[in-house]
Amino acid sequence: MTALNDEAALAKRIADYLSQAVGHQVEVGRIRRFPVGFSWLTYAVPVTGLRQEGDVQELILRLGPDYGLFAPYSAMPQALAMQSLEDSGIPVPACYWNSDDVSILGAPFLFCEKVSGDAVVPWVSAHEPALEEGYRRQLAEQFIDALAALHRVRWQEKLIAVMDTGITAANAAQLTVEYWEAQIGRWAMRPFPLADWGIRWLKDNCPVAPRVTIVHGDYRTGNFLEQGGRITSVLDWELVHLGDPHEDLGWASLPMYMGGSKLICRLAEPDWFYQRYSEKVGFEVSMESLRYYQALSLLKLAATHMAAARCFEEGRFNDMRMPAMGSQIASALRQMEKTIDSAPAATRNRQQAGALT
Amino acid sequence: MNNSFPRLIEGMCATLRTEVLSRLDDEFARGQVFGVINLLNTFKVRADWSAGFLLQQIAAQHAALDSVLALVKGQPSLRAPVSVFAKDDPFSTPINELLAMRDQGNRSISEWLQWLDSEKGLDACVADAAIGLLREAMRAEVQIELKNAPRPLFAEMSSGSEN
Repeated sequence: MTALNDEAALAKRIADYLSQAVGHQVEVGRIRRFPVGFSWLTYAVPVTGLRQEGDVQELILRLGPDYGLFAPYSAMPQALAMQSLEDSGIPVPACYWNSDDVSILGAPFLFCEKVSGDAVVPWVSAHEPALEEGYRRQLAEQFIDALAALHRVRWQEKLIAVMDTGITAANAAQLTVEYWEAQIGRWAMRPFPLADWGIRWLKDNCPVAPRVTIVHGDYRTGNFLEQGGRITSVLDWELVHLGDPHEDLGWASLPMYMGGSKLICRLAEPDWFYQRYSEKVGFEVSMESLRYYQALSLLKLAATHMAAARCFEEGRFNDMRMPAMGSQIASALRQMEKTIDSAPAATRNRQQAGALT
Repeated sequence: MNNSFPRLIEGMCATLRTEVLSRLDDEFARGQVFGVINLLNTFKVRADWSAGFLLQQIAAQHAALDSVLALVKGQPSLRAPVSVFAKDDPFSTPINELLAMRDQGNRSISEWLQWLDSEKGLDACVADAAIGLLREAMRAEVQIELKNAPRPLFAEMSSGSEN
C-alpha cells in the first residue's frame, strides 16, 4: 500500500494497466491528488495516447486504500451504479475501468471520466451569504429531478441488479438497519447505549418502502458538481445500494447539510422539495417514512463518526479532521433521539406496545 | 471526545510536521510550529482528559441504575445490574479507570434496556418508568459531552479558510 504515497511509482503502474486495457502503449503524466473526501483517494491522471496518438485526456482515478475510513473497499458497487445509470438522464461520469485486484494498483480502483464543475459545500460559516435566488432554484430543481430519476430507474434490468440479495419493499428498512448495526459493531470503540436504543426503535418501526430503488447513500450538496447553474455530475457513489428511496430523502434533509438555512442542502424549501419529488418520482413522500429515515441517517452519521475516531486511533493516518469528526458522535445521537421523539404518537405507541406486551 | 488523549497529541504533532512544516517557508512561523509541537509533547506526558465531566456522566448512570434496580425489585426474572463505581472515592480514581467505569455503566444501561424490552412478565408501568430513567441517563451523557465541546469548524475544515 505504500506505493499509493509514491505518485511516480503509481503513475507507472497506471500506465502499464491502461496500456494493457486499451491494447497499445499510453503515457501517464504527473498525477495530482485532490484534497477532498475522507474515504477514497481521488486523482487527476493525464494520459497521452489513450484514443489517438498524441491526444491528452485527463481521467479521474479513485483508489480505496486499506487504511481508508470504510476499508476494506470494493470498487464494484460504484462502478455498477455508474454503468447502470449511463443514458438514464442522471448526470454521472462515464466509468471506464475498475478492479478490486490490489496487485494492479495497490488498492481497489476505478477510472472514470473527468467532468467539469465545482462542488457546492454543505458546511458554511455563519457569515457566508445565501446562494443567489435564481441560481439556488435552478440547482434545486435539478437536484430534486436527478434524485427522482434515480429512484425511477428500472434497476432490475441493469448491471446493478447483481446487488440484489433478496431485498423487498417489506424488508428494505430492516436490512439497512442491520447493515449499520453491523458497522457500529465494527467501529465503535466503546459502548453507546443511545445507539443501541435507536437501533431497537428502528427495528421495531420499519416502514414498507413504496418501491425498491437504487439508493445513492450520500445524496447531498458536496457530492455533485455544477457549472453555470447546471449540475454536471452526481459523484461519490461508494455507499450505493438497493433500498427504500426515502433513505436518500432522509439523508439529504439532515440539518447538518442545511448550512444554517431552513433549506434542504441549502437549496430547496422542504415542502416544495417533497412535492416536486413526489410528482417526478410517481409516489407520495410518506412523512412517517421520511422521519424514520432521518433518524436512521443520524445513526449512519454517528456510525461514520465512530469509523473516523477508530481510523485515527488505530494510527491509519493523522488527518486531524478525523478525530474532529469523531467528536460529533454525541451530537448525531442526540439529534437521532430527538427525531425519534418527534415521530408521530402512533408510531411511538406502536413501538412501546410492542416492547411491553 | 472519542479518541485517547495521547493519540490526539501524537496525531497533532505528526500533522504539524508532515502537513504544515513541509509547506511553510517562513522561519519565524516554522519556529512557532516547533514551539507548539514542544508544548503538545509536554501535554502528552503531563495532562489527560478532565475527570470532571466523566464523574458527572458516571453519577448520572449510577443514579439511573440504582433507581431502576429499586423499581424492578421483586419483579420476575430479575438479574442484578453491574455496580458502576468500583471504588469508594471516585475523585482519586485515575482517568483510564473512570473511562472504563463510564463504559461499564453504558454497557449496563444497554443490557437493562434489552432486558426491559424482552421481559414479558414485567409490569408495563414499571418497565415504562425504568426505560424513562435509563433514557435520562443516556441523555445526560450526551448533554454533558455537548456542553463541554466547542463549536465544530466543519466549514473551515472543508474550505481551509476562516471567514
